[in-house]
Amino acid sequence: MSSAQIEIQLIAIIVAIACAIPGTFLVLRKMAMISDAISHSILPGIVIGFFITQDLNSPLLILLAALTGIITVVLVEYIQKTGLVKEDTAIGLVFPILFSIGVIMIAKNANDVHLDVDAVLLGELAFAPFDRLIVSGVDIGPKSLWVIGSILIITVGLLFAFFKELKVSTFDAGLAASLGFSPAVIHYGLMTVSSVTTVGAFDAVGAILVVALMISPAATAYLLTNELKRMLIYAICFGVFGAISGYWLAHWLDASIAGSITTMLGLLFLVVYLFAPNKGIIAVMYREKQQRTEVSLLTFLLHLKNHTEDSERHVNHLNEHINWQKVRSKTVLDLALKNNMIQIDKNIVSLTEKGEAFTSQAIDYIITNEDAQIEHMKNDFFLFRG
Amino acid sequence: MDITEYIKLVFTDYTLRTITLGTAVLGAVTGMLGSFAVLRKQSLLGDAISHAALPGIAIAFLITGAKDSNILLLGALVSGLIGTFWIRGIISKTHLKSDTALGLILSLFFGFGMLLLTFIQKQPNANQAGLDKYLFGQAATLLERDVWMMTIVTGICLFVLLLFWKEFKILLFDADYTKTLGFNTKFIDILITTFIVLAIVLGLQTVGVVLMSAILLAPAAAARQWTNSLGVMVFLAAIFGAFSGVFGTAISASQNNLSTGPVIVIVAGIFVLVSFIFSPSRGLLFKQIRFIKNRRDLQLHKTLSFMFRIAETHENISHPHTIKILNNFQGFTRGTLQKLVRKNYVKLDGKNWSLTEEGFKTASNLYNQQSENNE
Repeated sequence: MSSAQIEIQLIAIIVAIACAIPGTFLVLRKMAMISDAISHSILPGIVIGFFITQDLNSPLLILLAALTGIITVVLVEYIQKTGLVKEDTAIGLVFPILFSIGVIMIAKNANDVHLDVDAVLLGELAFAPFDRLIVSGVDIGPKSLWVIGSILIITVGLLFAFFKELKVSTFDAGLAASLGFSPAVIHYGLMTVSSVTTVGAFDAVGAILVVALMISPAATAYLLTNELKRMLIYAICFGVFGAISGYWLAHWLDASIAGSITTMLGLLFLVVYLFAPNKGIIAVMYREKQQRTEVSLLTFLLHLKNHTEDSERHVNHLNEHINWQKVRSKTVLDLALKNNMIQIDKNIVSLTEKGEAFTSQAIDYIITNEDAQIEHMKNDFFLFRG
Repeated sequence: MDITEYIKLVFTDYTLRTITLGTAVLGAVTGMLGSFAVLRKQSLLGDAISHAALPGIAIAFLITGAKDSNILLLGALVSGLIGTFWIRGIISKTHLKSDTALGLILSLFFGFGMLLLTFIQKQPNANQAGLDKYLFGQAATLLERDVWMMTIVTGICLFVLLLFWKEFKILLFDADYTKTLGFNTKFIDILITTFIVLAIVLGLQTVGVVLMSAILLAPAAAARQWTNSLGVMVFLAAIFGAFSGVFGTAISASQNNLSTGPVIVIVAGIFVLVSFIFSPSRGLLFKQIRFIKNRRDLQLHKTLSFMFRIAETHENISHPHTIKILNNFQGFTRGTLQKLVRKNYVKLDGKNWSLTEEGFKTASNLYNQQSENNE
């Protein structure tokens, strides 16, 4: 590995971590699309900043662009407050218009601006190591590494300082307000951090892919855990994994680094989406199937309890009476047998003592409809656990 | 270039005519379908779909090697639909919320698309130039057959819209009721989403992936302010969309270095702004005027009821009182007093005022109504 390669990976990793932290909170606060809006609407801020400073990495430009991000949030909230359109429409209107203003500003001044819409939106990480920061003649590393590094340090500092406040206001804004933390301050603080991070990172990975780095590690982590600290750690790990593996994918395919990082994050999400232990698609579908069988079993047992006559309890009769397919009735019957709920005597089904007890409890549950009871019931009897 | 000259040019110049027609048709169809997206609170779906269409374009190119825009748009359609249904899968099967699902699919598909585009650029066959036009759109590349294609799709949209108008409308406003009536809600839902995806894909070539959502939303959001009827809204949105297209093209054609897409978006944004401010029933301006008028009315009533309470204590209701005693009461201004005189509720005589018969009657009714309302 050459030093340029190491530097690129280092920048990618730091960007990934700096994005994952605010991203986690955005996902939890249901504001993921705001980050998309910010990433587009900072363009006019970048252009104006560029007119003034002529340098894409100057702090003034970052501040101006972050200010545009805040203006976006305020505008969206104002439009939403007027009640003329819904929040999502407000977001969808504000950012393309600001973005268009930026594009037109670039186009009108194309001759004296060395700024490309593609570069702002898509970024090019491969060139980042060539723009070096030189302090009194000594080369101390790529500029964007310093920019995004300082943003990361500020973000981490703020995270540790205000972790408690962030946590409370994210999950219970009312409680936070009554405890004396202003939700508005935390809200706009988070928005500011997101804007600054977006601006700092656009140079490396491009504005749109910042969104990917913010949302997808957090969303992937959210499928695996419900605990905030763990979610943060997972999100950071996923981000770092995406950054490194994405870099090598790009190296191998000779394609855009930012695109490969996103693709790796996408694959990671797909895998977790399918196979996550509790919330993955396969687990959810399996659970739904089990629950369907459980309900069928309950219906079946209630039917048995209600009928004493032999004809109603004949095995063959069940198919037509409850209107089940053959396979389904077989599954239910086997399950009930395995749990000692029923006994079959000459093709006549009857409840055992355990089955009687279970069914009475089930009726109790249906009458009172208290959630606690069914959990209790499941523990007493159930079912798929051998 | 003055306007008459420009209009003449629109009818004679092939490129300008094609672009003007194309953007007008595009604006109309997106406005029409955008109304449904806005009312179904799926506004950001447009943004997600347009980004999700990018890998489809790249893959279609990789497979066929052709630059034929219809094939590329077919790829975009397929990948847009996959994105849409994946979003639905995420929302319905996991606990991730809709905004996360949208942002996720948007950015992941777009990133994958970028990977493919940069991969294609490094390939030896050189005729790939022109794929990036789908990023920001280039109306100048519209050909006459693209416009025909748009017109045909618009025609189909219109036909289906009219055919299923009742179903679309009822699903929009009360999905549960629709289900109980026995309509196949899933089918209607998929049909309408597919058409929204189709409209977005059509616009990719003209305005590009990034700005497509605004073209979809802005005309509909503007139209929403002028009416409460779905039919009128769809019609107005189509008109606003078409005019944004025509004006946007005109402005960008008359200036150097202006790409059409962003200008159309800004024109549409101006439509929205004007509608937000000047719409008679919902607009901010008239709302503010109504607000001020109500406040004045309330002050007037306050003054009147205060006078009434004073007049009540006297045998003769028209007994004169000095204006001074009203002074410690904030509802009173010279203006409201004049207004009361003009309405013939109060008589002024130098520094004294007195209630008229009519004023007393109104004031006592006012009081009764208020107490009735309070109960």
